[in-house]
Amino acid sequence: MKTIILNGSPKGKSKKSNSQIFAEKFIEKMENPCEIKCIANNSSEELAHYIKDYDTIIFILPLYIHAMPGIVMKFIEELEPATYEGKHIGFIVQAGFIETAQHKYLERYFEELARQLNYGYLGTVVKGEAAGIYMYPQMFKKVLKLISNLGVAFEKTHAFDKEIVERLARPYELSKLKLIILRLINKVGLGNIGWHKMLRKNNSMDKRLDRPFL
Amino acid sequence: MKTVIIKECDGIEIPDVYTFDLNKEAVKNCIGCWSCWWKTPGRCTFADLNEFYHHYITADKAIYFANVTKGFVSGNLKTLFDRMIPLYLPYTTYKTGESMHVPRYENYPDIEFYYEGNFERTSSRQIFEDYINRVFYQFYSKNIIIKPIREFADKGDSK
Repeated sequence: MKTIILNGSPKGKSKKSNSQIFAEKFIEKMENPCEIKCIANNSSEELAHYIKDYDTIIFILPLYIHAMPGIVMKFIEELEPATYEGKHIGFIVQAGFIETAQHKYLERYFEELARQLNYGYLGTVVKGEAAGIYMYPQMFKKVLKLISNLGVAFEKTHAFDKEIVERLARPYELSKLKLIILRLINKVGLGNIGWHKMLRKNNSMDKRLDRPFL
Repeated sequence: MKTVIIKECDGIEIPDVYTFDLNKEAVKNCIGCWSCWWKTPGRCTFADLNEFYHHYITADKAIYFANVTKGFVSGNLKTLFDRMIPLYLPYTTYKTGESMHVPRYENYPDIEFYYEGNFERTSSRQIFEDYINRVFYQFYSKNIIIKPIREFADKGDSK
């Protein structure tokens, strides 16, 4: 079984790409690490041709507007249905928002896409609250370990480990208690600290609420 | 009432309305730089959509004519969705019981979304329509209509 990993982040092969970090972690402990290619750094047409030699494709991508980034859809447009049985496709999607219910629209579409393409569907692994990984990797050690374990299990079984998938997907929705806490954090202004730090750094704090296109 | 049109289907021409033709305009891909949130708030690092942003955000209604592509929106239209992010603030609100970005502007246009293309199954159509509905719900458009394009033609005939 030959597997290729496609990083769907518009940042491509960059230290600031959380999807690239996930991809590198996924293969880190494999005996025979899979190849990683970045959609952003290749022509869609050539890449679609290149992956024809692989039995299995795993997309690792960020969630943009409840779905895949535009460049990933442009790449998907180039894919042709498999002409023989036994090809597989799977997805790992990471997002900024905490709850993974935000991913459900894309999960449903990816399952549908696998069917359309005549590929076996390996599933869609989802992880929320992941935007800060490249900035604060120390805070995400556990998550990155899980991704690494997911890769090891994948190499052995050619499947996404159910238990790891369930752990990464938590929480699916925000509990009542979590909502109370998050609203409180926002009320006292702590929710915006990270953004304001960056805005100040860029001398843009006073412009943060601008409406330039009225 | 101001209307804007965003189209990628052939054969749709509506005179005297600002029309953004996705087949003619090459919209630059979002590069995930977050300049629109923390460097130049409200402005994308690319200037190619500046005129579009103005027309869209000052419109009462936006009418889309979209091509269904592999059961989803086309890559070009998805790129346009990605590039809507400057119209919202980076902050997250939990008012609705889930995470949502905070609006940057007071008003966003109502949406009429017409799509051209067939679906293999009823469930495939549902996946597509649910996605579109979700996109504009979290874009703070109040009234959202999603229909196959033939229903736009029918509406035109009855006038």
